[in-house]
Amino acid sequence: MPFEYRQAQEVRDAFARESVRFLFIGKSGAILLGYPDTTQDADLFVEKSPENGRALVKALHSLGFDLTADQEAEIVHGKDFVQLKNGPFDLDLVFAPDGIPSFADAWARHVEVEGFPVCHPDDIIASKKAANRAKDRESLPRLQSFRDYWMAQQRRSRTL
Amino acid sequence: MSAAEPNAPKPTHPQPDSDWWAEFDAAARRPLATRMRYAFIRTYKPVLDDARYRSFDSMEEYRAWCRDNLPDWLGFGPAQGSS
Repeated sequence: MPFEYRQAQEVRDAFARESVRFLFIGKSGAILLGYPDTTQDADLFVEKSPENGRALVKALHSLGFDLTADQEAEIVHGKDFVQLKNGPFDLDLVFAPDGIPSFADAWARHVEVEGFPVCHPDDIIASKKAANRAKDRESLPRLQSFRDYWMAQQRRSRTL
Repeated sequence: MSAAEPNAPKPTHPQPDSDWWAEFDAAARRPLATRMRYAFIRTYKPVLDDARYRSFDSMEEYRAWCRDNLPDWLGFGPAQGSS
């Protein structure tokens, strides 16, 4: 089952209830910003701290993810990347994305779209550039063009 | 209508990537829920989809795992010509 708008809302609301500090990142983040493309997974940049990890585990349980005690401990105490396919939809949890100095940096310039916290396009691009995967290199020119478009739209909306 | 005509409407986004920008304009006219319905797809990814949970201590470890375990055509490996 692909990730749906309703599920994105459930993530947003469950994470808000538990005060999880997170941002949509990757192509899923770009799609929330308006980028027309396809993807398979939702990628979440989650602040890496035990407190936030505990809140995250609670939120994941409330969404229906089936985590063992060992998996919960890993999420709370620090992995850089966790792939979840043990719930109602797939989630990639990224605690230290390539190309972004810190969660605080990304949070300082993040964007809200219908209540969804999303990384700024510059951070999405920086992480994809730094990851340097074949599939990212192919998509980067179009994503960079979208970034320019999005920035122009922001400037226009400020002047209206 | 040519842009040289005096009464021609100015392009909303005079940019070199005009085809892409036209796509972005079209997407921006759709509600977010519709955009997401078009955007998120589900296909089986060999190896990657064969475990319910994976974790990595670092992104370097994750990238190395992708490089060593996933089929090249999935595109998770390093881009050609990179170090």
